[in-house]
Amino acid sequence: MITTPIDALRDIVGRFPTTRDEDWKYTDLARARDISSRWLDEGGTRPSETPDIADLVGDIDADWFVIANGRLADIPIVDGVSVEKINELPAGDNALAEFNAALLDSGLRLRIEGRPGKPVGLLFIDEAGSPSVSQGFVEVAFEPGSRGEVFEYHASRGTGEHYSNTILCIDIGDDAVAHHVRLQDRALDHVQTHRTTVSVGRDAHFESASFDLGGGLVRNDVAIDIAQPGATVNFAGLYLAGDGQHVDNHTRVDHRVGPATSRQEYRGILNGKCRCVWNGKAIVHEGADGTDADQANHNLLLSAHAEIDAKPELEIYTDDVKCSHGTTVGQLDETALFYLRTRGLDPQRATEVLTHAFAAGLVSRIPVEAAQEPVSRLMERRLGELIRSEEDYTA
Amino acid sequence: MLEIKNLKARVAGNDILHGLSLAVNAGEVHAIMGPNGSGKSTLAQVIAGHEDYEVTHGSVTFKGQNLFDLEPEERAREGLFLGFQYPVEIPGVNNAYLLKTALNARRAHQGLDEIDAFEFLKTAREKMAALGMDPKFLNRGVNEGFSGGEKKRNEILQMAMLEPELAILDETDSGLDIDALKAVAQGVNALRSPDRAIVLVTHYQRLLDYIEPDFVHVLSEGRIARSGDKTLAHELEEKGYDWIREAANA
Repeated sequence: MITTPIDALRDIVGRFPTTRDEDWKYTDLARARDISSRWLDEGGTRPSETPDIADLVGDIDADWFVIANGRLADIPIVDGVSVEKINELPAGDNALAEFNAALLDSGLRLRIEGRPGKPVGLLFIDEAGSPSVSQGFVEVAFEPGSRGEVFEYHASRGTGEHYSNTILCIDIGDDAVAHHVRLQDRALDHVQTHRTTVSVGRDAHFESASFDLGGGLVRNDVAIDIAQPGATVNFAGLYLAGDGQHVDNHTRVDHRVGPATSRQEYRGILNGKCRCVWNGKAIVHEGADGTDADQANHNLLLSAHAEIDAKPELEIYTDDVKCSHGTTVGQLDETALFYLRTRGLDPQRATEVLTHAFAAGLVSRIPVEAAQEPVSRLMERRLGELIRSEEDYTA
Repeated sequence: MLEIKNLKARVAGNDILHGLSLAVNAGEVHAIMGPNGSGKSTLAQVIAGHEDYEVTHGSVTFKGQNLFDLEPEERAREGLFLGFQYPVEIPGVNNAYLLKTALNARRAHQGLDEIDAFEFLKTAREKMAALGMDPKFLNRGVNEGFSGGEKKRNEILQMAMLEPELAILDETDSGLDIDALKAVAQGVNALRSPDRAIVLVTHYQRLLDYIEPDFVHVLSEGRIARSGDKTLAHELEEKGYDWIREAANA
């Protein structure tokens, strides 16, 4: 049920970021605006039934909270996690957050207490009629000293056009340990904008890995705020893109105090005509002495038509810091390909082996054990599709 | 096994091989010696099928087939093995995985089932022990962070597992200390058999103290300048390569 007047919604859609905004220079949300406008024209309805999800998450050992077509499905009762529905959200500081707040059916607030036995599973699934729009909003707060895992899974059913706009806020209390995995495996005609904010408490630990396997137009914003000393933050991301895909990862880490450590490593594998963006920003604020920040981004381009726009950004306003960054863009190593062929592997297999090796470093870092098998399996499947889609890799 | 006739080849616009002929039969061990730049490595790369090397003339048959009709991987599956002078580091590809994949590619070509996992590990461990390799190397990335000697042992391990019919070892002795040299030689000697041929490409006579060749050929300016038995290697050691060059030009 939409309570916000349609005109107000149209106004918000009209204020979505455009490529004239520096942060959106490479990512054009025209498709999100277009899907949203047509969906509003048609009355803004959503499918009411919950899609069958057993084959997606049935085998994954987690307590699942399901947000289907933007609606919160039945809420499980979980030991060590307190659950609350939220209906009123602050309006948000940009048009996408406003859109989320204005259309949200119901948000979810989870509080991790102690050490829950299983990971919290967050399944965002959309069964698209054409065209459709959904929102999702989840807050996960880790109590001081708690230790927990979150597995966030974005999936889709059907192949209709869809725009999903989601927000996840993670608040990690002092001395808490939060492990997080995000898996995005949407249909190729889906548009997704997803914002993750993380605030890290004193001596707290955040370990995260993200995997973008699908989606037609995907924009992920990650903002990590370190306002207490002693924080350790490690986050990694892998994006795979083929023909027609556009995947943009924008990350920002604010080091407001030191000492604290943040490390990020993103890797991309691109084939066919596609475009990916990685923009990693680390801001070391005045007085944040003892900051250790590292950013790395490595890309493997298997096609001459693939494009990556990679940009590390460091802003340092204090002296006692250690900051580094590195970005690479390259093709498969011809010498290694030939070596594998002299061992009896055909070019296809040799390409697969080397490409998998490139991705393996990140897959081995999945910090939620229950997510390791499904993420590896879906990643391998998608990688197989990507590699087979090109005719000749050795030319 | 291998018949090379009047082979001419070039790389990056430079003619390197100028009409090389050589016949290698099953059961034989040949040593190809020669100074730097004489074409030894080019010959090895051409036989393995590296696409940067362009064959401009001549023929090579392997087990009666035109070698140039076969892709590098097909040559390998037919039983041709090249031991690299500079084995490639491939981080992220497990050494055991590569060994098993290579072995199964060859077995599939031979119409055999994939090797049983237990049998594979058992055989690999035995061969590693014989080569003085720590079994932990199985679970490392291919040649990743290996020393020069470890890389060469790893090449010999691959050869021992794949049991090729024709092995060409390109400067396998370079950069080895005496223990590694002995281990490598032992690995090669263990593979000597009436059904198999081995071609050792080497700059120095040293390796031939441990692997006794049936024939020694000296390469000079892209062709075989002289052939003989193992005594030729000793003669070279005494007189140096200039002696061959002068003799060839005389």
